[in-house]
Amino acid sequence: MDYKSTMTHADAARLKKGEVNLGTSIMAVQFDGGVVIGADSRTTMGSYIANRVTDKLTHIHDRIYCCRSGSAADTQAVADIVTYHLSLHAIQSGERPSTHVAASLFQELCYANKDALSAGIIVAGWDKREGGSVYNIPLGGGLFRQPWAIGGSGSTYVYGYCDATYREGMSKDETVNFVRNIDAPSPTALALAMSRDGSSGGTIRMCVITEDGVQRLFVPGNELPTFWEGKEILPPPGQAAALQSQGEVMVQ
Amino acid sequence: MSRSYDRALTVFSPDGHLFQVEYALEAVRKGTCAVGVRGKDTVILGVEKKSVLQLQDPRTVRKVVMLDDHVCLAFAGLTADGRVLIDKARIECQSHRLTVEDPVSVEYITRHIAGIQQRYTQSGGVRPFGVSTLIIGFDPHDAIPRLYMTEPSGIYTAWKANSIGRSSKTVREFLEKNYADDLDEAGAVKLTIKSLLEVVQTGAKNIEISVMRKDGEVKNLSLDEISEIVVEVEKEKEAEAERKRGRLAATLAAQGGMLESGAGATGA
Repeated sequence: MDYKSTMTHADAARLKKGEVNLGTSIMAVQFDGGVVIGADSRTTMGSYIANRVTDKLTHIHDRIYCCRSGSAADTQAVADIVTYHLSLHAIQSGERPSTHVAASLFQELCYANKDALSAGIIVAGWDKREGGSVYNIPLGGGLFRQPWAIGGSGSTYVYGYCDATYREGMSKDETVNFVRNIDAPSPTALALAMSRDGSSGGTIRMCVITEDGVQRLFVPGNELPTFWEGKEILPPPGQAAALQSQGEVMVQ
Repeated sequence: MSRSYDRALTVFSPDGHLFQVEYALEAVRKGTCAVGVRGKDTVILGVEKKSVLQLQDPRTVRKVVMLDDHVCLAFAGLTADGRVLIDKARIECQSHRLTVEDPVSVEYITRHIAGIQQRYTQSGGVRPFGVSTLIIGFDPHDAIPRLYMTEPSGIYTAWKANSIGRSSKTVREFLEKNYADDLDEAGAVKLTIKSLLEVVQTGAKNIEISVMRKDGEVKNLSLDEISEIVVEVEKEKEAEAERKRGRLAATLAAQGGMLESGAGATGA
């Protein structure tokens, strides 16, 4: 089995015994003036939910955040080291660091240690030169700048939705809605992923990062949009008994 | 032969002095003046800016530097030595954050810098750093302003107000006479500028002021803001001088009067 091909198989193969997993749905979207990032809040150890209110949106610098998926320990360690290097870089240059520099630092660590790490990270932030920018760093340690990026085990279920719904040139509010909208009739990317992926769930946490600052948004579990929950069409009770007695239907 | 470089450059004299350290202090005395003043909820760093040569880019000469978001440093003495110390201190600030998950306290980083300076007085083949530093800041989650000084010997001390570099003795004496506890921000800034004006003859354009507030915000005063305060200070000095002259004239007149009447009394 090529265990590098899907996120979930890789997670299971790489995580050590007892290690905590950020099986996840994360996403980041760029808009003119900043970025919107979002994540679910579930951390699992096998089928046990170790933390149902996790904050997977990690502050790296004043206007740069990262979304973490994969091994909780690996991503926390990498994020801490990148914070160290980026803060040093920022104070020596006297300016806010660029998102690209942060993403490059993540890439260096993720690629150099690719055999030991299980970390899928999305770096997003605002800087003076580029405005908002999003960088996807999947398992191998490649660096990909994209207008929007999704990651984690839950992301596989919403590629179609995101491809169909994303439009260039969305405003800040439209972008927030793309990620989480609970008012509009059409459902939202993260909520959809969370409803299909067993490793994702809980609450939705989001950050809107612009030049003026970082605004945190929160959608509690009971306010998540609900979609078609799926109902099996079963035969009516009377009919089932009749069929049974005729030997047509196996009793379950 | 390499063995000759193993010998310490800093050795004791027969009467217990470390002459290299004392010579390092001499180097510090040649550097441009820096002043630190602690107020009630702010702490101020003022530095004398060396006149920039004609073709030099003034932006590249920075005497007040950030070590971390909440700690600032100014030094006097050999600029290159200062730069090396600052780099080491900056790395330590981040390293502390990574291992302990907390920003440094001002005392911790001062102790670290002083420790480096001391090490270079007790190692083979190296000379002491020719810098003294003034370190200001607020400890994390704390509203008390801090001011520390380190010296080439590796001694560090806490101060309410202090100065290092050129004419630091004059400035310190001025501060001793004029310092008051619990100064507000404006008062502390004014005191800093006043004390620097004692030694900086050329006025506002050669003074740089950094104000640190308890929320960690650092403000560098603009040339206009400094000029405004300098003008105010000069006016006060002028008024004081005027008053003195007036009093002197009155005293002389009174004395003159006394002499005449005295002569009259004792005379014929």
